[in-house]
Amino acid sequence: MFELTRYDARHRVRGSLYLSVGLSLLAAMVIWVYPSFKTEIDLDQLIAAYPEPIVQVMGVQTMASLGGFLSFELYTFGWIILLGLYLAYSTAGTIADDVDRGRMDMLLSLPISRRRLLGERFAAMAVPIVGANVLPPIVVSVGAHLIDEPLAATDVLAVHLLSIPYLFACAGIGLLASVGFDRAGIAQRVALGVTFALFLSESLLTGTDAEAVGAIAPMRYYDPNAILLEGTYNVADAGILVAMTVALFVAAQLWFTRVDIA
Amino acid sequence: MAAIELEGLTKEYGEVLANDDVTFDVERGEIFGYLGPNGAGKTTTIRTLLGLLSPTAGTARVLGQAITDEGQLLEAKRRLGYLPDNPAFDETATGREALELHASIKGDARSEELLELFDPPLDREVREYSRGNVQKLGLVATFMHDPDLVILDEPTSGLDPLLQQRFNEFVRAERDRGLTVFFSSHILSEVRKLCDRVGIIRDGRLVTVEPVESLLDRSGKFVRIHAAESIPKQAFEIDGIHGLEADASAGPNGGTEYVFTFTGDVNDLLERLRQYRLLDLSLEEAPLEEVFMRFYDGEEMDNDADSDRETRVVAGGTGGDDDV
Repeated sequence: MFELTRYDARHRVRGSLYLSVGLSLLAAMVIWVYPSFKTEIDLDQLIAAYPEPIVQVMGVQTMASLGGFLSFELYTFGWIILLGLYLAYSTAGTIADDVDRGRMDMLLSLPISRRRLLGERFAAMAVPIVGANVLPPIVVSVGAHLIDEPLAATDVLAVHLLSIPYLFACAGIGLLASVGFDRAGIAQRVALGVTFALFLSESLLTGTDAEAVGAIAPMRYYDPNAILLEGTYNVADAGILVAMTVALFVAAQLWFTRVDIA
Repeated sequence: MAAIELEGLTKEYGEVLANDDVTFDVERGEIFGYLGPNGAGKTTTIRTLLGLLSPTAGTARVLGQAITDEGQLLEAKRRLGYLPDNPAFDETATGREALELHASIKGDARSEELLELFDPPLDREVREYSRGNVQKLGLVATFMHDPDLVILDEPTSGLDPLLQQRFNEFVRAERDRGLTVFFSSHILSEVRKLCDRVGIIRDGRLVTVEPVESLLDRSGKFVRIHAAESIPKQAFEIDGIHGLEADASAGPNGGTEYVFTFTGDVNDLLERLRQYRLLDLSLEEAPLEEVFMRFYDGEEMDNDADSDRETRVVAGGTGGDDDV
């Protein structure tokens, strides 16, 4: 069991390390600019100067504390948007690319069921998902300390831990696209498009009559502001994200076990 | 129990019948050649046997296990090796890593020995491999777990003649050890060298299954006669002479050369020729290409309306790579 997961995981380690380093640099930069931002600019005025939709899309609540600043500059932008899209895109490439490049014939000649193949490939996405969250919390904690704006260590840990089910849900979107389309390029574009559309539907429709539409967006169930500003960790939301991931995974399995390999 | 049993296997793509009611058995311990022009439906049959495609109708068993039951098919796959027509591995992995992945899932009984025979550059990444090297890696992966049955889709494409020869010897030796081999090809000489029995498929339909010898018998002999003077036409009016051609200015010594394929009794032919002075006479086994042509020609006579298509199929069958 898990031979394929181990194989994939090994091949994803290096990329995940780069990802973690890149995000750490982004975190360091955001923290580094914060003190000069805070002293030289009237932050409430700055927020007021942004058009309302932008403020809403980026989930800006306050810049008056490092937590609020990080929440949108780093976590909304870096985690919810960038990492979410990356994982949807990257996972969309798994099955579709194997089919596209003719590797799937060889893989499925092995004594391994389609169900297991899909499960093992998906499980290996834990490497970039967890890997992306290894270095940045350390950088954020240390950085915050260095600029004298300390953050509660549990809050930093929580904002990263709770991003994991969110990122798995995005990967789930990618997985479903990956079995639905046998051209990797198409699967990846569909996964990107759907994930971004869900993000917009959630952030733009909040407070409108169509707010309910955003309920299917994973972004609704991961809120860095609540964690970093209020210290609330919504475990029920994390549960919903896990349920979404399971639903997307099961749907992908059902599809993949029934379809002809092109 | 046969190694592979197909019963009315049918695969439809929209309007196209890629496989139409295909029924035959591959016996244990034989080398079975699945022969047909490109686009005839060989790969469709093979990929259906592997469970990659689900049949529209009919069924098949591989090593006694039903292909439509994933659990059963998995059982069969433990004892099965498969080389696709265009094998592909993770391009970012080295050959060694690719083999290690295969070994971890299906086991490795003899990769070392196989690597001496087919020696892909194991420490290079697969993306740097030539077509032939990928094929060699594929062959090692196909045989490494010492399977009871191997299914090979155009196995020698990409191999140079020396390796083809090595591959042929290897497959024959494995057959003698009890391995069953089912392989597809559009190259007739290859099938002739290797196979015990041949199934011929065209336009998704199985045309015939028979031992290679009987195909050759049916194809008869290729006869070349060099006569000192011309032989009257009626002398050649006996059963079994096909495609007679005469060349009146043959060779430096003059005389006439006659070339034809002969499927009748050789004694009748010699009886007829006795009264003429011959400079030379040769009888050879007809090349399998001729057999193949004859097959399609026979079909053509049965079905005149289709004759244009038949001719095209023949061209595809003997010419090589054009897809029909």
